[in-house]
Amino acid sequence: MASSSFRKLVRLVLAVLAFTALFSETAHADEETIQVRVQHTPVGGKKEPVEGVEFTVTDPSGAVVAEGVTDAKGVSKVTVPSDGAFTVTIDADTLPEGLGVADGQESRTLNVTAGLGGNANFNLGEAASKPASKISLLPKTLFNGLRFGLVIAIMSVGLSLIYATTGLSNFAHGETVTIGAVMTAVASGWFTISAATGGWGGFIQLFAATIIGVLCATAFSGALELAVWRPMRRRGIGLTSMMIVSIGIAMTVRFIIQMYYGSQPQSYAQFGSQQNINIGPIGVTPRDLTTGVVALIALCAVAYLLMKTRTGKAIRAVSDNPDLASTTGINTERVILNVWLLGGALAGLGGVIFGLDEQVSWNMGTKVLLMMFAAITLGGLGRPFGALVGSLAVGMFVQLWAWGFSNYTDLKTMGALLAMILVLLFRPQGILGKKERVG
Amino acid sequence: MSQTLSNGLFGAIGIVAIAYCLAAIGLNVHFGYTGLLNFGQAGFALVGGYAVAMPVMNWQWSIWATIPVVILASSAFALLLGIPTLRLRSDYLAIVTIAAAEILRLLVSTPKLVNVTGATDGINSFTDDIQNSIPGFLKGRTVPLWEKNISDYEMWVMMLGWFLVILFSLLVWSLMRSPWGRVLRSIREDEDAARSLGKNVFVYKMTSLVLGGVIGGFGGAILVIGQRNASPGSFQTQFTFLTYAIVVLGGVGKVKGPIVGAMIFWFLITVSDSLLADWTDGSGFQLPEWIMDSSNFSFFRWILVGTGLSLLVIFRPQGIFGDKKEQAFDVR
Repeated sequence: MASSSFRKLVRLVLAVLAFTALFSETAHADEETIQVRVQHTPVGGKKEPVEGVEFTVTDPSGAVVAEGVTDAKGVSKVTVPSDGAFTVTIDADTLPEGLGVADGQESRTLNVTAGLGGNANFNLGEAASKPASKISLLPKTLFNGLRFGLVIAIMSVGLSLIYATTGLSNFAHGETVTIGAVMTAVASGWFTISAATGGWGGFIQLFAATIIGVLCATAFSGALELAVWRPMRRRGIGLTSMMIVSIGIAMTVRFIIQMYYGSQPQSYAQFGSQQNINIGPIGVTPRDLTTGVVALIALCAVAYLLMKTRTGKAIRAVSDNPDLASTTGINTERVILNVWLLGGALAGLGGVIFGLDEQVSWNMGTKVLLMMFAAITLGGLGRPFGALVGSLAVGMFVQLWAWGFSNYTDLKTMGALLAMILVLLFRPQGILGKKERVG
Repeated sequence: MSQTLSNGLFGAIGIVAIAYCLAAIGLNVHFGYTGLLNFGQAGFALVGGYAVAMPVMNWQWSIWATIPVVILASSAFALLLGIPTLRLRSDYLAIVTIAAAEILRLLVSTPKLVNVTGATDGINSFTDDIQNSIPGFLKGRTVPLWEKNISDYEMWVMMLGWFLVILFSLLVWSLMRSPWGRVLRSIREDEDAARSLGKNVFVYKMTSLVLGGVIGGFGGAILVIGQRNASPGSFQTQFTFLTYAIVVLGGVGKVKGPIVGAMIFWFLITVSDSLLADWTDGSGFQLPEWIMDSSNFSFFRWILVGTGLSLLVIFRPQGIFGDKKEQAFDVR
């Protein structure tokens, strides 16, 4: 009798525990607030707030999750997507004249508690010599620009080839990028080849998932051509309508992804934060080095395909003059399908790399779509290698802009878009474009 | 059910519908009459909205004194966009306008400009003059609309908004019957033909861009006044594409198109939101959770808009009232 009521009690306690676990599980997903306070204590005086200090908040994978600037009270509150460990880094360049922060003190890692948030307080001292001069950061900036340019290039080659062969500005290309990244993240949960995080084990697991993600992006792109674009061309529906339809499709797909993948950005678990390898003046993580090399190999493969193979020659012929190409016996419809498949695969791969650089989110493709358009417009709309040149220019420009002005992510995008508009003012056909293609 | 329908009715004639209707009237001038692919109507609306809110907050202007600022700022934005792009092929305009609208949105949400634009939170409390100008017969009352009660402030903004809609519709109607409007349509049909008749196509396109941009600017102004808040979140690229959906739905190149389009569009959106909320709230008829639940049903409206826009453009590009002979798609 006594033991049965004891059992009941145990069951009750377990039920309560399960319930609280469930409850805290939902609380986990909530946004939390970090309060950042920057102060300065003059010699023999009271603490004074420091206004206008910019800072960024990064998660353990190194992705920026929030940015802010302190107000007149020296305080700024930012929201982060979840609880856990975050690192707050203040931008030493935005400190007032005469104030400085000791080496290694510009970052603070804090534990954000669910429901309570976290605090990061910085007490500034008198200015020491500047921690790192801007010039010494230049090689790394250029390297990052090159790498970022390569990533944009693999994503936008497809956009450019599609434009060249069909004349369509495909606004759904950003969603192909998202599908590649999101499906890779989802697929890495389907099976376990290696449970290791980081190192070769993590790489193999991610590589296997990437294949699935890229296949999904390829299938999406090809299915759109077969189900939407080819029938529309047959019905003689024009390019403006197709462009607006591509926007409609982009919206549909984007919000389907948001509905079922969620609004919360995620990182690939297999690659956490990594230590830098130093190559000369450039510190680079193995992850960034690998993705850079992968992007380079993919681009070389595309260049080989376009220049040396029959398929590539056919693609170039169709993009030059579809009518002439079809009279010489090229099956233009098949070439166009190949372009959609190739473009989809590259966009998916680019999405995975982009997701490693930043985070995998439902709207990552939309964020990068305008940069891709900027890149192919800069390079010359419809020129296959224009996409490469334009992307490298955009990548460099974005990183140099961040190096010279401000590291806000949004301002980086702004810089790239401004550059595109300026180029259109003075050289509307883009860097590699032919003059007659304009107007 | 009657709750849902009265929500829908308010959606159809409410402030948001008015704001989008104004933006659509402007876009109709660009896209419907001139054939300009403006993908940055959100940018024009943003300019209009902030042109109202910023002078009031930063320099304590009267809100009525900002009306010329709305006109000047939207015109200036149109000139800035038009000069580099109107001589180029139409898709350049599309890409540049969408980029410029994003630049503006990112600019006003920069934390550095928090004292001027309020960054992502935007600007609040600039609508005292509107509140004080509510006429005596409305003041302090709520107007019943079936089961929905409209506050005196909302009702007053709606009256101002519908006045603007009628004003601009009449303006567009009379302008499009004038020789100027006929030249615009000839540019839409065949730009080279218009040029060969000695018309300065660039100037005509530019005036069209300015006119439609200013009307779109007033749309943004009504939106921020109605919401009592001017923030970048209201002017994302979706704003532009919703406006396109409205123009296409109502009928491209028709004066009543944007009005009918906006009313039907917002009626459908509000009703579907309301129904889906009802079907996921845990009581009565419920949708299966794997389709949607109370946390994600609100994204479904965008899926509807995207699919609806695509299907309309493919299967009924003339919309409800449009004329198939006179549609603005693909003339160039």
